[in-house]
Amino acid sequence: MASEAATYEIKSEHGEVINTSTGLSNKKLLMWAFLGSDVMFFGSFIATYLVYRNRSLVGPYPADILDIPITSVSTFVLLMSSLAMVLALAYVQDGRRKLGTFWIFAVVVLGAIFILFQVYEFNHFVKVGLTPRTNLFGTTFFILTGLHGAHVTLGVLWLMFLGFGSIKGTLRADNAIDLELAGLYWHFVDIVWIVIFTVIYLISARDVAPPGSVLWVPGAH
Amino acid sequence: MSNLWNKILYHDGQGWWDLPRTQWQEPNPKMEGPLGDGITPIKRIWEIMTAANLHHGTPGFYVLIGAILSIITIVEVWAFAWLFLGALLVPLMLVLSLGKFVLVVGFFMHLKFDRKYYAWIFTACMIIGIGIFVALLVLLNYGGQIQQ
Amino acid sequence: MQTTHPGIDREPISLRFPRIFPRPKSEYGIWSWISTVDHKRIGTLYAITSFLWFLVGGIEALLMRLQLSQADSAFLDPELYNQLFTMHGTTMVFLVVMPLSAAFFNWLVPLQIGARDVAFPRLNALSFWIFLFGSLFLNFSWFLGDAPNGGWFGYAPNSNVAFNPTNGMTYWVIGLNILGIASIAAGLNFIVTILNMRAPGMSLTKMPVFTWMTFVTSVLIVLALPILTVALIQLQVDRLYGTHFYNPAAGGDPVLWQHVFWLFGHPEVYILILPAMGIVSEILPVFSRKPLFGYTFLVFAGVAIGFMGWFVWSHHMFTVGLGPAANSAFAISTMAIAIPTGIKIFNWIGTMWGGSIRFSTAMLFAISFIAMFTIGGLSGVMHASVPTDAQQQDTYFVVAHFHYVLFGGAIMAIFGGIYFWWPKATGYLLSEKLGVANWLMMLIGFNLQFAPQHWLGLDGMPRRIFTYAENMGWENTNMYASAGGFLMAFGVLLFIINVFYSARKRVPAGDDPWDGRTLEWSISSPPPHYNFEKIPNVEHRDDFWFRKHPELIAEYYHDEHSGKLTAPSGAQFDDDVDDEHAPDHASDHHDNEHGHGHGDIHLPDMSYYPFILALGLTIVGAGLMTIIPVVIIGVVVLLWGLIGWSMEPVNDPAPQGAAHSH
Repeated sequence: MASEAATYEIKSEHGEVINTSTGLSNKKLLMWAFLGSDVMFFGSFIATYLVYRNRSLVGPYPADILDIPITSVSTFVLLMSSLAMVLALAYVQDGRRKLGTFWIFAVVVLGAIFILFQVYEFNHFVKVGLTPRTNLFGTTFFILTGLHGAHVTLGVLWLMFLGFGSIKGTLRADNAIDLELAGLYWHFVDIVWIVIFTVIYLISARDVAPPGSVLWVPGAH
Repeated sequence: MSNLWNKILYHDGQGWWDLPRTQWQEPNPKMEGPLGDGITPIKRIWEIMTAANLHHGTPGFYVLIGAILSIITIVEVWAFAWLFLGALLVPLMLVLSLGKFVLVVGFFMHLKFDRKYYAWIFTACMIIGIGIFVALLVLLNYGGQIQQ
Repeated sequence: MQTTHPGIDREPISLRFPRIFPRPKSEYGIWSWISTVDHKRIGTLYAITSFLWFLVGGIEALLMRLQLSQADSAFLDPELYNQLFTMHGTTMVFLVVMPLSAAFFNWLVPLQIGARDVAFPRLNALSFWIFLFGSLFLNFSWFLGDAPNGGWFGYAPNSNVAFNPTNGMTYWVIGLNILGIASIAAGLNFIVTILNMRAPGMSLTKMPVFTWMTFVTSVLIVLALPILTVALIQLQVDRLYGTHFYNPAAGGDPVLWQHVFWLFGHPEVYILILPAMGIVSEILPVFSRKPLFGYTFLVFAGVAIGFMGWFVWSHHMFTVGLGPAANSAFAISTMAIAIPTGIKIFNWIGTMWGGSIRFSTAMLFAISFIAMFTIGGLSGVMHASVPTDAQQQDTYFVVAHFHYVLFGGAIMAIFGGIYFWWPKATGYLLSEKLGVANWLMMLIGFNLQFAPQHWLGLDGMPRRIFTYAENMGWENTNMYASAGGFLMAFGVLLFIINVFYSARKRVPAGDDPWDGRTLEWSISSPPPHYNFEKIPNVEHRDDFWFRKHPELIAEYYHDEHSGKLTAPSGAQFDDDVDDEHAPDHASDHHDNEHGHGHGDIHLPDMSYYPFILALGLTIVGAGLMTIIPVVIIGVVVLLWGLIGWSMEPVNDPAPQGAAHSH
């Protein structure tokens, strides 16, 4: 750090001059710092979920209700949207507008499908008898995945905005940084889902009623 | 046919399996053949993955990462459903997910290609986050028991 | 003059959002303040707003002191007393010390690093407006009869709806969430500003200590506030929608809130004190006429505090029953954090040692900071010992401790900072006579109020009780403490008188009244809105001071840099500098993005959208309290602000849009 002197006239990878002391783009640095902040946000919620794992007093418990096949599909959809995102960025940066636009909207569509899966899942759970007010599992599950879904929704809106910009020609290779920021956000939302999928679904999907709690009978609610 | 094979495996800057170009658009080194210079495809992929000074990969490379991510996910779900691992489940899932996490952060988010500053920022936040939340879980799950 | 780099000044976006208001241009009047993106104006707004909240929080404290001055007093009823101590704590932490620090960040960081503005000027304005609306929202609860009453820490489940059915804590939850967004946005902005906007030559190790502490504080804000946000969201959904995060009846853990809150709360303590440490580190060397002693140690101690501060939170919970292993671990980490703090104290003393000290008001405040903070720090080390803490928990001893670090520490340093930088910000000096009286009254009043509280605490007087029985033997001590409180209030009154008196007298300060060391003293007072006519080149730590005293370079730098100093390159040394003839910089810095070239200053244009966005956010918060249609109105306003903002270029393409030097 001591030798890190402020230098000027650094060109970024795409030719624009970045006049900052570190040579990093202001916007991108802001985005990474924000993502660091969001790590703490989701970290707190995931920690809360893990603290309350196996502490519900009444059912339904994860083993009664979680549906791994469906969530695996939606997880796959979100992973593929991440792939589409990175392809969109590569094409926009290369100035290939049509391909870029196509892949941006592919992200939008895949993100929307993910949200629909979540809406379906939430509806299904409510129908079966799990709401945020039912037990600790419901509370932690709905708030954590719901806030993740809110992040996805925000990302979809943002990318739609940029997609129309790409159609209009206002999103180009020279300001692809705007798409890159949205991309960083989108991939971050994806890695949060990777963690959520692991923690809520893969690790705790076989959690049954903890000792001392009431067994859950479907339909008795 | 062998031409296609070469294009798939070895990069000469032309094939669909288009390796990341370097920052200064230097030509990538030409390959001799599958075993000619002893560089195997896996070794080559490893080179790509560990290459510094690359700002972003190419579509083919990203598709490869996407495929690896899908395979890991399939392995996870398969292991969950058909292997009754007991106590091994949690560590296995954590390792596999960590792999996915690193792939997305490193390649899709370009941390591997980008300036190291970004990686430092993100890593520092992850270290503090993981540190405090693991401590929190330990405290809340085991703290009281030690007292008894 | 417009630059032509691709991606920087691109053609106007054709998908232009319809503008309801024309882009603000006026430099005077109320609208110029509402639409300002100038970091100095925003700093002033922060300072005025948070000083007014300081008075509000002070009045709340005085009411409590009146109540406690006598045994069995019926001046306040218990419910009102609960509301007062809750709002006093919340106000002083979130509406006073943090934003007053933010006022200093805004004013000083760009000036100290040689920048023309922060990295994201509109985001900066957004932070202020969110802060203003959030603070108004929080205090609006007073007028609806349900002020928050669960303590500034809001311990759940006590603050949950089952035990606290009034709306007070809901205001608190939503208000703090709004304020948290403001803090995070400001923190992100300053991280980027400090990393990216430094003048050429100013490496991280040449940055002023205040800027360093701002950086550490910003990192802490960005990482700690989200944890509070999460806790607040959880409490909010519990209170409003009946979930079970903090509901013991459904298995919720009553200790979880304490953990999550103090995970935020302890870094928060350093968020409050590190800026004060930075301010003191600027004042002491100037009035000791010596460079800072042990710059590197001071900086790394600050960074170490920022890191270690994450791993000490459970010392707030020693009496909860975490078990001996956890308690021991946190006792050790808490005692360990006293080491970097001690390093700083010795460095400050070392800075004064052997210097020719001028006892100006700012210096007096800085010295009393060291003394008071050391007392508070030592009682803090006492708390780190678990058995001792069991005796002191929830007594007035703790109250005395944190007031010694937060008032004797943070507020003393901030007042010192105000006296120190007032001439830079306004162009005239504050009266030193009134200043010394202000300092004396505050110091005596402060010690009269809080020193006896150590004894009260050791004698067993609990915190947060609205009164006490006659035969407890606490009456005299409490009476002294209350008298001290009013003496402090008199000191603050003297400060206000000083401000008006000095504004009337208007003794011109000149550009550099104190023989300052950092770059802000190299420009005129008050600074022009573009700050630096030419971006300075930095060669040394305390570059400006060494340019004034080149003979001292050899002494402090052991000859390694002597001879390297060239003629001063900043515009500050050329009285007859001419915009059109700036030979040395015109070629290499002419077309830069931020207009670093000499005759090419253009700053971001003013904008209404931060104001609109902040308004929308607050309406959403208010709607969550009441009815959903209000949320929808808020979302519409918020989207208007957001879309308008993203469609609005930083600079309008029209040539008159750029703010030119004049």
